[in-house]
Amino acid sequence: MDAMGGDSAPDSIVRGAAEASLGLRDAEIILVGDAARIGKILPQVRHDGGRVRVHHASQVIHMDEKPSEAIAAKPDSSIAVAAGLVAAGEGEALVSAGNTGACVLACARRWKLLPGVRRAALAAVYPTELRRGEKNDPFSLLLDIGATIDASADDLVAFALMGAAYSKIISKNARPRVALLSNGTEAGKGPQPVVDAHALLLEATDVNFIGNVEGLDIPRGVADVIVCSGYVGNVVIKMLEGVSETVVALARYAYKEKLLWRAALMMLSSGIQRLKDLTDWEQYGGAPLLGFENLFIKAHGRSGPRALANAVRVADKALRSDLCGVISSGLAAFASRAQTRPTVPSATSA
Amino acid sequence: MAVSATHVFRWDLDKTYLRTEFDTLRDLVKSALETAQDKQAYPGAAALLRSLRQSSEHRICLISGSPSQMRKVLAAKLALDGVEYDEFVLKNNLRNLSRLRLRALRAQVPYKLPALLESRLGLLGTPPETLFGDDAEADAIIYCLYADILSGVVSTGELQRVMEAARAYDDQAERTVALAERVRRGDCARRILIHLDRRSPTAGFAPFGRRLVPIYNYFQAALVLYGDRLLTAQQVLFVAREMLDSPEHEIPTLANSLQDLLRRGRLARSVALELSAELQEAAAGAADRDGRREAEGIAAAFHDRVRQLGGAPPIEWPEANPRLDYVALVDAEYQHRRGGRRRQRA
Repeated sequence: MDAMGGDSAPDSIVRGAAEASLGLRDAEIILVGDAARIGKILPQVRHDGGRVRVHHASQVIHMDEKPSEAIAAKPDSSIAVAAGLVAAGEGEALVSAGNTGACVLACARRWKLLPGVRRAALAAVYPTELRRGEKNDPFSLLLDIGATIDASADDLVAFALMGAAYSKIISKNARPRVALLSNGTEAGKGPQPVVDAHALLLEATDVNFIGNVEGLDIPRGVADVIVCSGYVGNVVIKMLEGVSETVVALARYAYKEKLLWRAALMMLSSGIQRLKDLTDWEQYGGAPLLGFENLFIKAHGRSGPRALANAVRVADKALRSDLCGVISSGLAAFASRAQTRPTVPSATSA
Repeated sequence: MAVSATHVFRWDLDKTYLRTEFDTLRDLVKSALETAQDKQAYPGAAALLRSLRQSSEHRICLISGSPSQMRKVLAAKLALDGVEYDEFVLKNNLRNLSRLRLRALRAQVPYKLPALLESRLGLLGTPPETLFGDDAEADAIIYCLYADILSGVVSTGELQRVMEAARAYDDQAERTVALAERVRRGDCARRILIHLDRRSPTAGFAPFGRRLVPIYNYFQAALVLYGDRLLTAQQVLFVAREMLDSPEHEIPTLANSLQDLLRRGRLARSVALELSAELQEAAAGAADRDGRREAEGIAAAFHDRVRQLGGAPPIEWPEANPRLDYVALVDAEYQHRRGGRRRQRA
C-alpha cells in the first residue's frame, strides 16, 4: 500500500490497512512511506502486528504534481518504491489513493504487460439503477478511463476481456454484460476501432457482448462492463463526476434558498441517505488498473479507512482468484480464435 | 516452606496460553465441556514455556480464573503440550457460589491480586518476575498493581481504596492488605507481557510504562525475553519453529512481528541485529539442511525488516514506570465489565 498517497494520507491509509489486516488469512500488508509517521499511527489502531510491515520511502508525490515530472524527480517516492517492491516479487498487488497519473506511470515503468495486452486499462466503478451479480452489486465497470489516450480494436477487445474477468471475480457476476461505448447502438456506429472491436467481440470471444451502448445507458446500468478508449472514458467519468457535483450544489442551494425547499429536502432525507448507502463507493474500495502481470487497485483520493480496507480486500480477493491468470487465459483464447477468424471487413463510421 | 528461584514466570491461562472464548454463556459452557485434546494453545506458547523451563532455577507459576473443577482437564492439556510447572492456582467458584458471593464469580482483582501475593510470600529472597496476561480482562492493571506493591509504591490506604473500587468482599480486602504488608519489597516484577487476544491498540497500554509490553504473538514474547537475556537465540528459534508449524504463521509474519516491536521501541535495533547474526551462526552450524535453510531464511528476513525501516526512530516512551491511579483504573474496569454484561443481556 502506498501509505503516502491520498488526501488524508498517511492516517487514512494506515487505519485502512490496520482494519484490513484483522481479516487477512495468509497475506501481509506492506505499508510504503514515511516509516516514522506510519509507526506513530499504527499503535493507535487495532491491527494484526504480524500481518503488517513498514517499508520506508523518503519522498511523496502529491495529488497536484505533474505525474511524469514527479516520477522522474522522486525515485524514492512511496508509489515508485511500492511499484518497485511488487516488480521485485516482494508484493503481488498494489493499492494507492494517490495521484492517479503518477500511479499509472509508476506501474507502467516497472511492471510487465500480460502477453496479448498492448495497453493497460484503468477502470472506474459507477453506481447504476440496475444491479448485478450474486452480490447485487450496484456498480458497473467503465474502462479505460485514461491509462492511455487511443485504443485500437484489439485493445478494446482486450479491455473487454479484462473487464469481464474482473467483474466475474469481484462482483461474482457469472456472465457480465459487456458493451462498447459509442454514439449509437447500431454495429456500424462509432469510430473505426469501435466498429472493428464490435465485430471481433461478437466473433472471436466468449464474453457476453451486448453490443454498443450510449452515454445515457451508463447510469441506467444496461451493461456491467463498458469499454471505451482512455480519451473517451476520461471525458465520460469526469462529466459524470461533474454532474453529481452539480446535483449536490443545486441541493445545497435549494436548502439555503427557501424554507419550503429545505423542508422538502428534509422530508426526502431518509430516502437520500438510503440512496447514498446503496451507491456508497467506499464499499467498493477502488478500481483496478488491468493488463499488467500484477494488480493495481486505485482508491479514490478522498478515501477513508473503510474504503481503503475494502480496496485491500478487493486486491486480496483478486489475488486469491488469480485474476491475472484468468485474464491471461481469456486473452490466449481470444488470440487463438482471432488467428482462425476471417478478416473483418472495415465498416464506415456514422 | 519457602522455595528458591532465580526468576519467576507467572502465566494466566485463558486467552493467554489457551485460545478460550468466554464472552457469552454459550462460550463458557463450551469451554467447560471441552476435553484436553479439544483445547488449543496459542502457537509458540508451549514452546516458550518449555524453553523457560529448561533452566531448573526458573519457577513457572500458573494462575487462572477458571474454576478449580477444571484442574484435571487443564493439567491434562498442559501435560499433552509437555508443559511443566511449579504452581497452579485456580479459582474456587463452587465455594463462591455456595456462599452466594456472586460478585466474586467474575471479579478479577479480588481473586488474582491476593493469589499473586500469597505465591510471592512462598519464595525465598526477592527473585525477579515476568508476568504473562492478556487484553481481555484486567491483567495489565492487576500485574502493574502487583509490581507496584512489590516496589513499595502502593500504600496500605491506597490498596484499601483499590479493593473497594474492585467491589471486593471485606474479608478479601483485609486478606489482600495483610498479604501486601507481609511481602518483601523490591523492584522485582520486571516485565509484564500482555497477549493481544482482542488486538487492542498497543497505544492504550502506554500509560502502564516501559515494563509492560503488549504482544501480538509468542514470537514477540520470545524476542522481548531475548532482549531481557532470559532466552538464548536457540530458544527463540525453538519458539519460532513451533509457530511456523501452525498455519497462522510464516517467516514473514515472524519478521513483521520483530519489526513491529522495533517500531514500538520495545526491542532495540542492536538486539534485533545481534539475534539475526546469532541465527546466521546457528544456521551455519546446523546439522540438517532444512534446519539450516530455515534459520538462514529467518535471519535474512529479520535483517531485511530492520533495513526496511530506513533508520526511522521508534516511538519514544514518556516514563519508565509511571505512577498509576489504580483506584480509577480498577473502578473503570469494573464499570466496563458491568457495561459488557448489560450489553450481552441487551
